[in-house]
Amino acid sequence: MFENHQLDALPTHQDIIFKPLADNALFYVQVSWLLFYVPLMCVLAAVCYFNEAFASLAQTPLLVALPSILITSLAYNVLSVRLRGVAIRNHDIAYKKGVIWQQVTILPLSRIQHTEIHRGPLERKFGLASLRLYSAGGMSADLNISGLSHGDCKDIRQFIQDYTQPTLTQTESTDIANTDESINE
Amino acid sequence: MNKQHWQRVSPWALVYFVLHFAYRFVKDGIFNLLPIAVVFVTQVQNKLFWGQIAAAVAVVALLVYSIAYYINFRFCITDDHDIMLNKGVFKKERLTLSFLRVQNVNIAEPFYFKPLGLVNCIFDAAGSVSQEVVLPGVTTHYAESMREQVLTYKEVEDKELTSSSSQYVQNDPLLSLMLSNKEVAKFGLMSNMAILALAALAPFMNVIFDYLEDAVIKRLEVFYEQEVGTLVNAAALAVFSILFLVILVAVLLSVIMSLIRFYNYELYFKEGKFKRIAGLLERHQLSVSLEKVQSIVIKQNLIARLLNRYTIQCFQATSGLAAGAKSKQSLVMPVLNIAQVNQTLLWVYPWLNRDNFDFKALNFKGVEKALLYKNTVFYALLPSLIIGVGGYISDVLHPLHGVVGFCFLSVFVYLSYVRYGYYFYQHNGRYYGIFRSGMLGVQYRVFELYKAQSARSISTFLMRNSDLKSLSIQLASGSVSLPYLKSHIANDIIDFTLLQAESEQRRWM
Repeated sequence: MFENHQLDALPTHQDIIFKPLADNALFYVQVSWLLFYVPLMCVLAAVCYFNEAFASLAQTPLLVALPSILITSLAYNVLSVRLRGVAIRNHDIAYKKGVIWQQVTILPLSRIQHTEIHRGPLERKFGLASLRLYSAGGMSADLNISGLSHGDCKDIRQFIQDYTQPTLTQTESTDIANTDESINE
Repeated sequence: MNKQHWQRVSPWALVYFVLHFAYRFVKDGIFNLLPIAVVFVTQVQNKLFWGQIAAAVAVVALLVYSIAYYINFRFCITDDHDIMLNKGVFKKERLTLSFLRVQNVNIAEPFYFKPLGLVNCIFDAAGSVSQEVVLPGVTTHYAESMREQVLTYKEVEDKELTSSSSQYVQNDPLLSLMLSNKEVAKFGLMSNMAILALAALAPFMNVIFDYLEDAVIKRLEVFYEQEVGTLVNAAALAVFSILFLVILVAVLLSVIMSLIRFYNYELYFKEGKFKRIAGLLERHQLSVSLEKVQSIVIKQNLIARLLNRYTIQCFQATSGLAAGAKSKQSLVMPVLNIAQVNQTLLWVYPWLNRDNFDFKALNFKGVEKALLYKNTVFYALLPSLIIGVGGYISDVLHPLHGVVGFCFLSVFVYLSYVRYGYYFYQHNGRYYGIFRSGMLGVQYRVFELYKAQSARSISTFLMRNSDLKSLSIQLASGSVSLPYLKSHIANDIIDFTLLQAESEQRRWM
């Protein structure tokens, strides 16, 4: 890798064993998707019912396409949730996600500027939460981990706070590990 | 309990507030007033009278608001090394900025303060425009003493925090770089300021085109018909002339803008700190500590290649959303010839300057050929097929156009592929990376690995089958990426970068 430096054995991120998301994360993802998709199907069905010209043109393709999209999406969600995982190491947090483009993102704990826990109505119903971790320079959260249990979220946040707290007191630095728990009603 | 001595700025600061809010009104509020402007133009009968009334009301409102803002504007330097600021008219705010959070203290000397010997003292907070504190209309002496106070405090704190001494020793000689205004004008040609100038005219394009058609193009058409007769299409010639004129005006505007920004450019470097003074209407003094620089970009676009010039940008930490707004705070060395690039790099990265530095001489490693194949298929073959087949079916284009298109696009794909490269170097226990990218132009981004904020690997099914990965490293000044590397190389880069970020004790910001 270096022109003038030999690398020693490094702690490798490929060996990380990821912890899967919470048990009901898949159920939450499917319900969220259906809450978007079923009303869309109802609107299209209503248009077909009231507009014969549109129905004669689009009914058959819609009857084939909509269930196909629904089944494909539900199957995709199963795969997507199963491929996601989170892991905490001594000095960083890793998150993997993606079906077609599989990504592994690793964020050193010392670089975390800000953490947020979000809980929407559905997430509260299922006992889940989303954890958002921000570092400097990103356009949005560096890590946005949804589908964690609320307990896991709080544990991770506490771990991050404990890790960054000595730095905070030592340097009286910026917003390191400012926390914000927002609940979307 | 610490003592708080609240101060007002000079009454001359009122000039700054008036101009500042007028600028803000034009920049942010003018588009919101467009519906009113439409109603005014279409419905109001006595436009001149009501226009004057509206202008007078706007001016009075601006003056009253600025005076109220001035009255409420107070600042205080606490014994706890915080800058506190009370401001606002309708919504009163108190802003507290710790000396430790101040990234730079910049001094700007607008032309209207010059006869009075006053300046604006700008405390640039790391990564947030809304947290920036400006003290307008303070004396140069006060601004300089504030800067000294803040920087000295930060230095002492830094030394207490890290025992690792800076690579810069005290009493280093003062190094300088001056750019002639002729050189600065070249930046106008190189930069995309011409496009920005045209973009600023975008909302008025329809009006401009209508006017041009009525006033200029028709006359030009008549002129060409008389002068060149039927040899060429007079209408086409007229449009071409106008286009040429528009480009010429845009380039001229661009040159003027770069002169306004970088007029009489002076750059100084001492003990790891840059100080840049430049500007025509406002002499802006920007100080940047090298330790605070997150990455350095050396770039050369197509026009710069023709002029044999480079641009160097030193990026500081930004909060992503404010990246655009904070670009004003990034240190730009606009037009440098190769000797000046060498000179500057000698100050910043002495290890790079080896025997008349030339980036081409560095042993850059390229990315895998699979990227070339993939991009050729997606960005050259597929679009060409669509052009060829679509043209053939619609009988508009000959299928040969598809072949020409493929050759043309393939050249760009190939250039983009060969530009990708990476180079890592260790110097005095510090680890640096250089990522090269580009197409017609080229840019090199140099950064210290420990400043990485996060690292990411990306792979598709086909990439995993071919043992390939792309990687992206998030820096506090944006992200850098390398596509299609062998998995073990990408893994090594990610692992070593993380090791550096997690084990290095030096401050990253």
